[in-house]
Amino acid sequence: MALLEVNNLKTHFFTREGVVRAVDGISFEVESGKTLGIVGESGCGKSVTALSIMGLIPKPPAKIVDGSVLFDGRDLTKLPEKQLEDVRGREIAMIFQDPMTSLNPTLTIGTQITETIRRHYDVPKRQARKKAVELLEEVQIPRAADRLDDYPHRFSGGMRQRVMIAIALSCDPKLLIADEPTTALDVTVQAAVLDLLDDLRQAHEMAMILITHDMGVVAESADDIAVMYGGQIVEQASVNDLFDRPEHPYTEALLGALPQIEGEGIRAGRLTAIPGRPPDLKNPPPACRFAPRCKYANANDTCTTVMPELREIHKDHWVRTAHPACERAGAQVPVQA
Amino acid sequence: MVVNPREAPTPTIAGDVAPLAQGTAGAPLRQSNLWRDAWGRYVRNRAAVAAGAAFVLLLLFCVIWPFVSPYDGNKLDFSLKNEGPSLSHPFGTDNFGRDMMTRTAEGGRVSIGIGFAATIAILLAGVAYGAISGFVGGRLDNAMMRVLDTLYGLPYLPFAIIILAIFGDANFWTMVVALSVVSWFTTARIVRGQIITLKENDYVRAARAVGARWYRILGRHLLPNTLGVLIIAIFLELPGVILGEAFLSFIGLGIGAPDASWGQMANDGRTAYRTSPHIIAVPSIAIATLILSANFIADGLRDALDPRTRET
Amino acid sequence: MTTFIVRRLFWTIPVILLVILMTFGMMRQIKGNPFRTSERAIPAEIQANLERKYGLNDPWYVQYAKYVKGVATFDLGPSLVLRNRDVNDIVREHFPRSLELGGLAFLFAFVFGIAVGTLSALKANTVFDYGAMFISNVGYAVPSFLVATLLIYFLALQWDLGFPTSGWTTPESKILPVVALGLGPMAAFARLVRGTMLETMQQDYIRTAKAKGLRWRRVVGLHVLRNSLIPVVTAAGPTLGFLITGSFVIEQIFAIPGIGRYYVTAVTSRDYSVVMGLTVLLSIIVILANLFVDVLYGILDPRTRDIRT
Repeated sequence: MALLEVNNLKTHFFTREGVVRAVDGISFEVESGKTLGIVGESGCGKSVTALSIMGLIPKPPAKIVDGSVLFDGRDLTKLPEKQLEDVRGREIAMIFQDPMTSLNPTLTIGTQITETIRRHYDVPKRQARKKAVELLEEVQIPRAADRLDDYPHRFSGGMRQRVMIAIALSCDPKLLIADEPTTALDVTVQAAVLDLLDDLRQAHEMAMILITHDMGVVAESADDIAVMYGGQIVEQASVNDLFDRPEHPYTEALLGALPQIEGEGIRAGRLTAIPGRPPDLKNPPPACRFAPRCKYANANDTCTTVMPELREIHKDHWVRTAHPACERAGAQVPVQA
Repeated sequence: MVVNPREAPTPTIAGDVAPLAQGTAGAPLRQSNLWRDAWGRYVRNRAAVAAGAAFVLLLLFCVIWPFVSPYDGNKLDFSLKNEGPSLSHPFGTDNFGRDMMTRTAEGGRVSIGIGFAATIAILLAGVAYGAISGFVGGRLDNAMMRVLDTLYGLPYLPFAIIILAIFGDANFWTMVVALSVVSWFTTARIVRGQIITLKENDYVRAARAVGARWYRILGRHLLPNTLGVLIIAIFLELPGVILGEAFLSFIGLGIGAPDASWGQMANDGRTAYRTSPHIIAVPSIAIATLILSANFIADGLRDALDPRTRET
Repeated sequence: MTTFIVRRLFWTIPVILLVILMTFGMMRQIKGNPFRTSERAIPAEIQANLERKYGLNDPWYVQYAKYVKGVATFDLGPSLVLRNRDVNDIVREHFPRSLELGGLAFLFAFVFGIAVGTLSALKANTVFDYGAMFISNVGYAVPSFLVATLLIYFLALQWDLGFPTSGWTTPESKILPVVALGLGPMAAFARLVRGTMLETMQQDYIRTAKAKGLRWRRVVGLHVLRNSLIPVVTAAGPTLGFLITGSFVIEQIFAIPGIGRYYVTAVTSRDYSVVMGLTVLLSIIVILANLFVDVLYGILDPRTRDIRT
């Protein structure tokens, strides 16, 4: 059985201006030790998915209206808050996008690491501090023992993100959710942090959900990829499968928008952008949410009136569209998987 | 496929139908404007609108009523003294038999007048000091802030009293000077803080890069963006000044009789509060109403001008 | 940390000197003469003698220097109007009461204000929140003399609950004045705390704290409160200063023999030394209150410690 099983998760925000269907029927699985990448534009619902798993969505406007999140057999959406607090940090850990604001500026990083350890394990302070130093060394912070009592403002962005990773690993969680961990960092630091994450994940035998809008990031680090659009998963496959033969028009467009420096068939000239804007999730298009921007959709296609289902188009390769690449006129018949 | 903006786009849903309604994918955004947005947000805040109405009504009352009232606020009539509120005297009469409603309006003119005059003075001083200090920066800023720190060490009430004593006489303008001299420091600090924050913005660097002179940067970029903070500051300083005037009058150092100010009226009612509480209550409630509405207006303005501070 | 404190302490000295100078300068602008304004007319020779005795004819810098020396040795000089009384005596007799009044009012405002504000923030948008904020808004706007009058009128007179309406002796006699003086600041603190707490709770690092599985009690008690109190502490300094030095009105209403009454009389009768002495004293209090707050701020917000003062 998979470590994490999300079934038909729906998270809606009930605001004064209407109901925002941020996550509208998402299902996926994460196996122990594997990495799932979730990719999509800003506003597609990937962060809300992560927060829903952790139960961290702001409860007044937001609510999980349907679906289940099975972790190690337990449905997290049905757990009372006190038990969720036990799961968070200890079995599932999360790191966030902006390292500059994700650490409390008035507490030392030592405190912020040890409080996590001492929350979940009954150990004396000295032992927790020792473990904190080990963790800092593991994330490659130089002179870890000296820096334990420093405040976050003494650290650069990349180092703060490493501190966040150290905190996340402190209780040896089974699953790490990384929400755009490198988006706020510069490119050179990005690579280092991603490598670090990957090494640590293997060393600790953790599963990981890596959320990003950057296809390049998932290409490096993920085993499987789910592409999200407008609150739904529109394509899901192993990383190789997705990059070799993307089926959904949106995935194709995303890959087509990547700048290329070298390679055969290199596209010179302008970068392709996807025309239009993401759907308004208070009033999503009646059926396929990508239809208004889709190259292949016409006004009288079924996908504009009936929501396409997520179907398994090749082995372990799912897509939600009426116009998958392999079925379009003129497409080559793909080699059987 | 490369989208060439000069060509017509290939037929899609978006291309086939009439221009999309607001909010759907691909539609153009409505033009937004800081002030219009702020006004819209302000108007949606019911408490702020109510406060604004109350404030305006109070002002109108004070300005118009003395012209319209059948009574003379300074006319003594001991036969009517200390009457409670009644139909002929909705606010009652005071210990000299004067009509309270007229006096409240007249007193309001004085108190609010002092309030506005002092507030304007505070703003002028605060903006000048804060803008220079923040804009020039460096050692001048340090020195100016040190001086400000010193001035902060002056106790508010005692120094207002001393300034009044220097003038020897407490009238409208001396009050304005006394109150503004002891109150401008906070505004200066706020303005300086705002200028320093704005100075670091990229559009200022851009202006510098194309060779704009300092007065253009200050006048065109920095000060207009401070406007929001200043408007809020008005509604925060005004109550303080009015309260200050009330306090000074209450301890006997205010504008002399027979002229009224709200503080003076409250002072008049001090001794008689056991039997005729309305004499002290009416002007105090007037002060409270003004302060309350000014506070709510300030809150409303703050929310309107900086939507991020709203709670979900 | 200690260098921070020492540095701030060091800077208060020139500030105090400057304040004395300013007060001095302003006092000299006040026309009038302590001897001429007393009831009985005083013959010219005696007046001249008095002026010489009190050193009022010396050039201003001499007077200033003498005065500074006096302050440093805690000698504030004699009263010019009230014979045989030193300013020090007046201070010793009356100032502790004002200090106590202001101090108690501050504690009342601080403790209750933070409590109410915190509860309001945690129960945002509930009946409790609306009620507490409504009362706070009113309490903030109503001038303290009205509060005092209302308290006396209802609690002491109409309902006869046993609160004395004047004097500063028994514990009961202190309750009404403290509440009257402290209600406004309490309301201000409550609103401020509520606002900053709500803002802090939106911050990313609170989300991180929750994601770590920390118990909600700890998240609020440590993470939220620590950061929320910073602006409150900043506002507390001037408030403390104001409460101690601005209690004149309340002292008048409740007939409390503090320095408020003395101050006003001294100004009107041109008793320079009393005015100087009291003003300098009050200024020192305000400066110390601000210093205390600055240090507290440095403890609460470690980022400021690294900035050069």
